[in-house]
Amino acid sequence: MQIARHNRHGRLGVDFARGEGDEIIAGTIGRFAADELRPRLREFESARTVSESVRERFAALGFETLDLAEEAGGAGLGLLARVRTNRLLAEADAGAALALDRFAPAIYVIEAFGGVEALKSRQLNLGQSDLRFALVMDPGAGDVAGARVAGQVAWIPAAGADVLVGLGPQGAWLLKQGFAFEPVGGSALHAAGASSVKFDGTPILAWHDPVRAAQALARIRVYYASLIWGVLSDAAGFSRSYALDRVAFGKPIAHHQALAFLIVDMYVAVERLGLLIEDAAVAIDAGEGRAVGAAAAAFVDAIEASRFVGPNGVQILGGHGFMRDFPVEKAMRDCRALGLLAGGCDAAREQAGAALAATISERIAA
Amino acid sequence: MNNFSAALNAYIEQVREWGQREVRRAGLEADRNGAPLPPDHPYFAAYVDFRRRHPVPADDGAVPEGPAVRMAAINEENAYWDRGMGVAAPGPGLPAPIVTAAGTPEQRERFLGPFRGTDIPRWGSFALTEPSGGSDTAAFRTRATRTDRGYLLNGAKCFIGNAARADWVLVQANLDPEKGRAGQRSFFVERGNRGMTGIKIEKKMGLRAYESVSFILEDCEVPHDNILGGERPERTSKSSAYGATMGTLNTTRVGVAASAVGLARSAYDEALNFATQSGAFKSIRVRDRLEVMYRQLRAAWLMTLRAAWKADNRIPNIVDASMAKVFAAETAQDLASAGMEIVGLEAGAGHHLVEKLFRDAKALNIVEGTGQIQRIIMARNLVGLPR
Ligand SMILES: Cc1cc2nc3c(=O)[nH]c(=O)nc-3n(C[C@H](O)[C@H](O)[C@H](O)COP(=O)(O)OP(=O)(O)OC[C@H]3O[C@@H](n4cnc5c(N)ncnc54)[C@H](O)[C@@H]3O)c2cc1C
Repeated sequence: MQIARHNRHGRLGVDFARGEGDEIIAGTIGRFAADELRPRLREFESARTVSESVRERFAALGFETLDLAEEAGGAGLGLLARVRTNRLLAEADAGAALALDRFAPAIYVIEAFGGVEALKSRQLNLGQSDLRFALVMDPGAGDVAGARVAGQVAWIPAAGADVLVGLGPQGAWLLKQGFAFEPVGGSALHAAGASSVKFDGTPILAWHDPVRAAQALARIRVYYASLIWGVLSDAAGFSRSYALDRVAFGKPIAHHQALAFLIVDMYVAVERLGLLIEDAAVAIDAGEGRAVGAAAAAFVDAIEASRFVGPNGVQILGGHGFMRDFPVEKAMRDCRALGLLAGGCDAAREQAGAALAATISERIAA
Repeated sequence: MNNFSAALNAYIEQVREWGQREVRRAGLEADRNGAPLPPDHPYFAAYVDFRRRHPVPADDGAVPEGPAVRMAAINEENAYWDRGMGVAAPGPGLPAPIVTAAGTPEQRERFLGPFRGTDIPRWGSFALTEPSGGSDTAAFRTRATRTDRGYLLNGAKCFIGNAARADWVLVQANLDPEKGRAGQRSFFVERGNRGMTGIKIEKKMGLRAYESVSFILEDCEVPHDNILGGERPERTSKSSAYGATMGTLNTTRVGVAASAVGLARSAYDEALNFATQSGAFKSIRVRDRLEVMYRQLRAAWLMTLRAAWKADNRIPNIVDASMAKVFAAETAQDLASAGMEIVGLEAGAGHHLVEKLFRDAKALNIVEGTGQIQRIIMARNLVGLPR
């Protein structure tokens, strides 16, 4: 299998190297995550938000619009840069990563339908630092253009928003009014807040276009998968270092083969997930036909990896893992919860299968 | 899900009725509060009353199943309603069989007697695990030193169930470190002993319905009479040392497996109910998942029952018990996780039972011998894995 990537010289080919720009981004975000987010993990969790000062510092780094197209006022670095950033933020705290992203993945819907320009004429300026977006999946979105939309979702990891974006297989809509957030307990990702959302209103923008809807969903899936990637990378890394320190039966527990192999398998799960995510991001950035299927597959893989790595991160710490003094219990909850978003696992599996079937049919026809 | 005798089924029916009416609700309340219900909560008095009216079937032949199968059946049903409340239930708990097996007659009377026929909720507790390690029981660092007045205990214990509310905690300590495991003895530390300090109730991911307590033993003095089995155990009971404790853990392993099956069944039911009510059951993917869940659940229950049945029939069951413990615990985790996926955003919202089960289940693969330790036990027996 050949991995098509734009390499540093702008040519397509196999290239796993990271450019200088990537390293700078990674260094900056990595430091921010380690210094500002990680030490305050439980504080943000109880506060159900990140502090204003942390928000400001994040905004000052200029990463908010990293992957938005330049025409939309972004840095135009593409989804690949975003997933790498997300991974680093989520290694520290996925809830905080969501809280810091005021566009949530909702902006991908607006971008996919070419709606960024239209926002301006609706007095919605993306540069306005307190303007927040939220996304809900609405199966009926795009069915009838211009009609009222109504429904509710039991949970989204957000405390509120100024703009609500709905996405379904047929299209999308955008509400500026006519929706209400109600706080709920939430199973995880508490730093982002947790709400149920009711909506009943007339969209200020609405689109019907299944192809674009699928493209938006692909980005959203990769976005969430990359947060899962970060959470799992942390769970695997944290439990690995714990296992090197903790001694039982006369040696570090990591050196008992049963745990050594488990640690190795967890590492492999995280690595393969990372590769699938980056591959999907590259496909999306390059506008390749396989992007939708690759994104769905990456999301499914993230969920499968979560089921394995999440609970085993706790397991390696034994009883300590079950206590809130350590971050692995939070990782287990966070990755489970992230996998419920973007329409869930079964829908992604369906789409990954459909994409595969389509390529096979094409090949047979040829 | 079983073919028990009518007598056992009748008892389980009472547990079910009680569970549905009281236990589930109490467990959810504790989970929401993020803390165990206080010892004077009316639930506990009602529990004691329930147990007085419906005592666990005794070994008098009225229920034909043996004690291990009986225990498995009851644990499974209890855990279906709430595993955490099952552990929080008043009573002497895990140490009861240890004290019965290894205690002197006076100790049995003094420490277990107050639990009989009382209407006051009381707890006993068992402290084995230490902050530096729980799996490697031979490496425990808590020391006991004999003095003229009694024994001085020094060390630390962690995650000890019900320890802050217990009348006494049975503490494992080493009296003769040179003998390694063989030097270990158990000591009753009674409530209010000032040498038991730094009591901390841990904040847990799940199973919040019962206290898991960490504490320090600092020159904690107990009378000579408080050493389990007496000062010269060989005169009272051969099995008062390390063996009694480990022997008990071998039998309770099947009980933990049964609890895991109960929790798993609860997750399965939640997923199934949601799928049928929401119409998701029509999806072949959801039906496939439920089929996988049901098959795994059924296998876990059969494994558990067979391990229990072998124990009752004095057939060696060490591999069966470990297999049941690890498979059932992993089943509980898998089913709760799959259940969350089927329930979807309702589970994400944090108010659906399946989300609580997801947090509760994890501990079952850790307590009373982790999944790795169970695999080591099996491997020793199946392929002669060297120690
Ligand atoms: C909710 C809860 C309630 C509890 N209640 C009680 C109680 O009432 N009383 C009590 O005494 N204890 C209690 N415990 C403690 C429990 O028994 C221990 O947590 C357990 O025995 C594991 O010990 P540990 O946590 O120290 O993990 P460790 O022993 O440090 O093990 C860490 C990891 O290393 C693995 N490991 C260790 N040795 C090996 C090996 N040789 N090969 C491969 N892997 C290995 C383990 O499987 C685990 O994954 C409770 C724990 C919990 C979570």
